Amino acid sequence: MALRDIKPTRSELIGLKKRIALSERGYKILKMKRDGLILEFFKILAQAKDSRGELNRKYEQAVEKMAIANTVEGAIGVKAAAFSVAEVPSISLRSKNIMGVVVPEIESSKVRKSLTDRGYGVLGTTSVIDDTAVAFEELVEAIIQSAEIETTMKKLIDEIESTKRRVNALEFKVIPELTEARDFIKMRLDEMEREELFRLKKIKARSVA
Amino acid sequence: MAQAMSGPAPYIYVCTRTRVRKAKLLPPEEYARMLNMSIHEITRFIEETEYKKEIDELGTSFSGIDLIETALSWNLAKEYQNILDITPGTLKVFIKAYLRHWDIQNILTLLRGKMQGLRPGKIKEVLIPAGSLDRVFLDRLLMEETPERVAETLKGTDLYHIVNREISRAVEAGTFSHMENELYKEFYAGLLDIARAGLKGGSQFLSFIQLDIDITNIRNLFRLRADQFVENIRSMMIPGGSFSVDELQQMYVIKDQNEFIETLQKRMTVKPVQEALEAMKGARSGHEIDVGLTRSQLEQMERMSKINPFSVHPILVYLERKRYEVVNLRAIARGKESNLSADRIRACLVI
Repeated sequence: MALRDIKPTRSELIGLKKRIALSERGYKILKMKRDGLILEFFKILAQAKDSRGELNRKYEQAVEKMAIANTVEGAIGVKAAAFSVAEVPSISLRSKNIMGVVVPEIESSKVRKSLTDRGYGVLGTTSVIDDTAVAFEELVEAIIQSAEIETTMKKLIDEIESTKRRVNALEFKVIPELTEARDFIKMRLDEMEREELFRLKKIKARSVA
Repeated sequence: MAQAMSGPAPYIYVCTRTRVRKAKLLPPEEYARMLNMSIHEITRFIEETEYKKEIDELGTSFSGIDLIETALSWNLAKEYQNILDITPGTLKVFIKAYLRHWDIQNILTLLRGKMQGLRPGKIKEVLIPAGSLDRVFLDRLLMEETPERVAETLKGTDLYHIVNREISRAVEAGTFSHMENELYKEFYAGLLDIARAGLKGGSQFLSFIQLDIDITNIRNLFRLRADQFVENIRSMMIPGGSFSVDELQQMYVIKDQNEFIETLQKRMTVKPVQEALEAMKGARSGHEIDVGLTRSQLEQMERMSKINPFSVHPILVYLERKRYEVVNLRAIARGKESNLSADRIRACLVI
């Protein structure tokens, strides 16, 4: 806000004071929100670290089981068994609110299945297919759990970032500019008052003479 | 080539030929050598053996591990068809019936592929025409649009009545697992019927099939016990072996693994299987149990073929040995490709 555009009036000064009070209140609230979000973020971060570690572990396990299945059954046997599985796990999304940030809550249909529900028959397959299927079911479960935590974390980071920008804008731009404008108006009003007083004194002196 | 069609001559003829073929199978020490080779060296090594024709034929369409696996499967199918061609009379009935499990495998793969809307070419890659349904018939089935049409085209084959009975239920439920179990149970029931039909050599065939049923049931008992999701396993057990389905159900509910193994040992009088079961006491993975049981089954089959040198046993033993040669070669190549350690690959081999 350029100072030359400011009208040095009392009403403008009152308006500016109100805006400064509002900005300072908003600044405090946003600062509290930012600190709260950072606390929440660190809680989620611990969970995310665990879930990512678990995800990596399960991925390695699944890849190893797949390698063994390919070794024992061949790609042909594994592909033939994979044709049995037509069902894709269905996922339902709900949302929850963490300090004003809407984060997803992911619920999925049961991924882990019994030997008889997987779609392949017991009599035409071997245990390496079971082991591989179990490893991949666990991996999919870990991915779904991880997706919820990672999305929450990403949304929190975005929100912390934007809140931080707002706090900084209020702290370093909006409030100082408003304060400067208020001080300018105050100074101009004081000056105008002094000019008025001086003019009155001059008139009085001239009329006495 | 003149072949005697009656008396002991056909048995002597086919058993001698299969024995010669069996002698040409790779010995265990070759597998140990292959464990130190790269994929290219393995391909070259395989090319220098009985698989040369298939490797040369498929060399332009496939490469690397896919070339090895496809060539092995093609060779297996061709070899089984050769054995069927040279087998006369009642022996052919036994062998043809025994190879029907490849038809079941192919039909199930085809139905599942069709159900998922896969391209015929993609399904064809997975088919191994080692049974009585040849490549031409399987190609015809591949051209059908839906699982129901595939079932319809099977009319006139042994599998038709079960597939036709189960198809609507399977399509509705979106799973062929029940059909698969029913087809395999029907397959074993058919084998038992043929073995008990009074044909010459039927009793030897019966003992072979009963051993196969026992091993399959024991293997699946271990798997189902590890899963622990279902209470009633009767529908997943094959009747006709040493154990009744009720006995198997009773064994399934035994809590302690060692107690379960001891119960099996008491009933299984076959020595190699008893020894394999003894080795399974304590914690072992499902795959190790599978391999242990398969090895014991092959060992027992070998013993049976030595007791009855001119029976269906040597032929069936050769078929199984050939199958596991293909399994072992594939395991080494695939294991190498997946960077598994030599010990891990060795544990997967059936030697």
